[in-house]
Amino acid sequence: MRPLPILKAVFAALVVIFLLGPLVAVLPLSLTDSVFLNYPIPGYSTRWFRELVTADSWRLSIVNSLLIGSGTTVLATLLGTLAALGLRGRRATLLVSTLRTVFLLPMVVPAVVLGVGMQLMFARYGLTNTYLGVIIAHTVVAVPFVLVNVSSALQGVDIRLEQAAASLGAAPATVLFAVTLPIALPGIISGALFAFATSLDEVVLTLFVAGPNQRTLARQMFATIRENISPAIVSAAAVFILGTIVLSLAMLAIRRQMA
Amino acid sequence: MRPDLSLRLKAALLLAPLLAFMLSFFVVPLVTMMKSAVSDPVATEALPRTARALSGWDRTGAPPASAQAAFADDIRALKNDEQFGDLVRRLNSAQSGFRSLLGKTRRALDGNGATDLASVDARWGETSYWVTIAEAVASPWTDKNLLAAVDLERNASGGIAAMPEGASANRLIMIRTFVTSALVTLACILIGLPYAMVAASVEGWRRQVLLGAVLLPLWTSLLVRTAAWYVVLQDNGLINATLKGLGLTAGPVPLMFNRLGVVIAMTHVLLPFMVLPIFSVLIAIPRNLMPAAASLGAHPLRAFFHVLLPLSMRGVVSGALLVFMAALGYYITPALIGGANDQMISSVIAYYATGAANWGMAGALGLVLLAMTILLYAIYMRLTVEEQRA
Amino acid sequence: MDTPFISFRQVVKRFGPLTVVDHLDLDIARGEFIALLGPSGSGKTTLLMMLAGFEQATSGTITVDGVRVDGLPPHKRNMGVVFQNYALFPHMSVRDNIAFPLKMRNAPKAEIATRVARVLDMVKLSAMADRKPAQLSGGQQQRVALARALVFEPQVVLMDEPLGALDKKLREQMQLDIRDLHRRLGLTIVFVTHDQDEALTMSDRIAVFNHGRIEQIGPPREIYELPRTPFVAEFIGETNLLSCKVDSQVGEAVHLTTESGLSLSAHAGTGRVDGGKVRVSIRPEAIRINDHAAATANRLTARVLDAVYFGDHMRLVASVGEQRLIIKGDRMSEAAEVGREVALSFAASDVWVVGSCDQTSASA
Repeated sequence: MRPLPILKAVFAALVVIFLLGPLVAVLPLSLTDSVFLNYPIPGYSTRWFRELVTADSWRLSIVNSLLIGSGTTVLATLLGTLAALGLRGRRATLLVSTLRTVFLLPMVVPAVVLGVGMQLMFARYGLTNTYLGVIIAHTVVAVPFVLVNVSSALQGVDIRLEQAAASLGAAPATVLFAVTLPIALPGIISGALFAFATSLDEVVLTLFVAGPNQRTLARQMFATIRENISPAIVSAAAVFILGTIVLSLAMLAIRRQMA
Repeated sequence: MRPDLSLRLKAALLLAPLLAFMLSFFVVPLVTMMKSAVSDPVATEALPRTARALSGWDRTGAPPASAQAAFADDIRALKNDEQFGDLVRRLNSAQSGFRSLLGKTRRALDGNGATDLASVDARWGETSYWVTIAEAVASPWTDKNLLAAVDLERNASGGIAAMPEGASANRLIMIRTFVTSALVTLACILIGLPYAMVAASVEGWRRQVLLGAVLLPLWTSLLVRTAAWYVVLQDNGLINATLKGLGLTAGPVPLMFNRLGVVIAMTHVLLPFMVLPIFSVLIAIPRNLMPAAASLGAHPLRAFFHVLLPLSMRGVVSGALLVFMAALGYYITPALIGGANDQMISSVIAYYATGAANWGMAGALGLVLLAMTILLYAIYMRLTVEEQRA
Repeated sequence: MDTPFISFRQVVKRFGPLTVVDHLDLDIARGEFIALLGPSGSGKTTLLMMLAGFEQATSGTITVDGVRVDGLPPHKRNMGVVFQNYALFPHMSVRDNIAFPLKMRNAPKAEIATRVARVLDMVKLSAMADRKPAQLSGGQQQRVALARALVFEPQVVLMDEPLGALDKKLREQMQLDIRDLHRRLGLTIVFVTHDQDEALTMSDRIAVFNHGRIEQIGPPREIYELPRTPFVAEFIGETNLLSCKVDSQVGEAVHLTTESGLSLSAHAGTGRVDGGKVRVSIRPEAIRINDHAAATANRLTARVLDAVYFGDHMRLVASVGEQRLIIKGDRMSEAAEVGREVALSFAASDVWVVGSCDQTSASA
């Protein structure tokens, strides 16, 4: 390969630093023993990681995030996969494309707008300040990711495989569970991971719908940055980044395994 | 059963759960929000008799006597204190003085069966109070919030007029939202276009690294990225510490709680949405197009301006629409990195909803933001669909 | 054929405004190997898909062994289907792929094991049983697909261009293997192909499809040597098609004049010389060059325009006046020089009347 012209290389390097620098730069601060988020780091300790598991507000928010994230993942994956199966192979009639657009619209609608509407409506049905309410809110914004992932996975399933299974004696339900879904599994898993990640990162709807008992990790981080910033936030961020890397590697591994 | 009919039935059954879910928890909330922007049902529900009695009044001079009796009946019939409180707030917000007037009147009406309102309080003889009531009961719908969202109001004669200077800042905030979003979009184009070109022009691990640098932040929590910028940009943060260490500045350069910080952090967040569409357009261009242009005698620079740049424009337009659309509705980054003068429309909506409990204004501003977003999305869809057809 | 095993009656299939299968009748005997041959879009694959149950006929009936099957879903039809791309389940091993139809029929575990082992042995893939399809070569995948379609002893085996993806040598080997299996197991096979050589070498009968109808059906030799329409004559092998005027007809012997003015003696074939104008087919290999001994009805003098050496034969293009003719032969090296004059001769029985000219539009 011919060497990059210097200018191109310098520019690309600067942008990479802009993109990754802040993330890399804050990570060491998670190990500071000071209460300030400043360089130079006076001494190293794991006190802020311990804070995450010992302080009630952090511990509760982590538990909440896992609970709500799991609920969202199950609900969104179920609804999204069913709908992707229903939309599969349909010709793009007006009805079908309208449905698809409505299902994907939560990715586009500003979260604050949706949050206001949800707070008004959820209050009427006693869903505010409940776990179910938060899970429902998160599912609304997580479903599009499941739908997109599962739909594209289903597109990759050759219709002749299903015809073959039927000709060999498999009833429609058996075809679905023995052939279609196993082959689309990587797409379903990545949809589920996206749903979990979306729930984990959701702040705005949570602000509107959740009560103090449903305070999630993201909500807790938001409050910490806004009110009294502490190195615990960087520890939480470090956990998040590690989690992201583990999840991405898992996703890559699954893709490679199934390919 | 016809086989294609049963297929369609099966599809409908599979789609039904998500459709029901989305209607209940996505469409209904949005409709509720829109309705709250234009509905004003308190007075019409609390004062049904008054509404009837005042329907023919020309709003000049004294109201008909029947209206006074109807109003007294309505107030007596209001047993629900909460509903009475709502009515007081509704009328008092239109004309101050109603709070004391209504309290006094209710006590008087409940205590002795008096019907002559003027004897309870002299203010009932003034036309202006009756005009306010007549306006409030005229319709359960109102355009007041929508007008206020763009700093307009109805004047005394019912025409639409600008609000007095300084009474409302909504227009200012919308302009600020547009300017900030435009700045972020511009920054994303200036960084993203050349970056995508570089990424598309290299191969192997270099391309992997350049794309990974874009994707990794995209996969990282928004809160984490905002926290990172907070740490980097603060007065004694990494950048200021470096500048001071190099002796370039004496005191800290303010990078946070101002527009600069917001634009930097939002550009960081939204840059992937610019780079990825441009990149996908660029790699679809046959690799031999630039050599072909060169073989036809085009100088590399001319080839760039006449071949590569026009071809990447489709990606730039989709990317710009995506970034601008996302930036318009941004809440978290301005809320955490911006100062009081950098708040965008989402923050104002959140303030009206959670701070002031003014659902009408929250709904009206939400409606404006929603309409703008949907419009941009429709344009974006149009473009991408045309692209797929082309 | 006394009682047909499979029979199509007035079967129509429309996709929107497009008629893909047009009032088609077809009978297939038990144990027969029938090839459905035709260009793409001629309806042959659609017919197979209707037999398998993946497509529903717009109207008409399909019966197998006297039972109507057109209302049955595919999984209740008991037909083994071999697909063009094999359609092996990528997430299952070879063994699990082949065991699939037996599991669907709730066969006991021990029986599944023995039957899978037997059929694996039959297709010589016992060593590959635990591999995934992606780890096999194209030919091996083909054999797995075949084994999977045979293991449950279906009443019919349907094959949709099963050899299309294989290279020439492997394809010829598989052709022989499949023909051998057909004979040994007494299978009824419906085989869709667009490859005329495949149809000629493998099948008991060929049905030539064109525009949703069967143009001609019969044994390979009959289809090749006695084509009934210009389409069949041209689609099966190479031929010279000439438009002629009928001068006289006595019994089967016909005298014709071609549009370019040549006089020919011809054979009326199926007696379809009803109009004043006809089209005739002369196979390139029926024309002899400089064979002065042969006592044949037609003799012409031609000039060689082009000669191509094919190894086992030569292909010439020669002109007789305005008329161009293609000629295939093996022993004509001395004549095969461009520009030379040659004598052409062919029997009257080799000038085969394939239809009158006004029929061309209906059959084309």
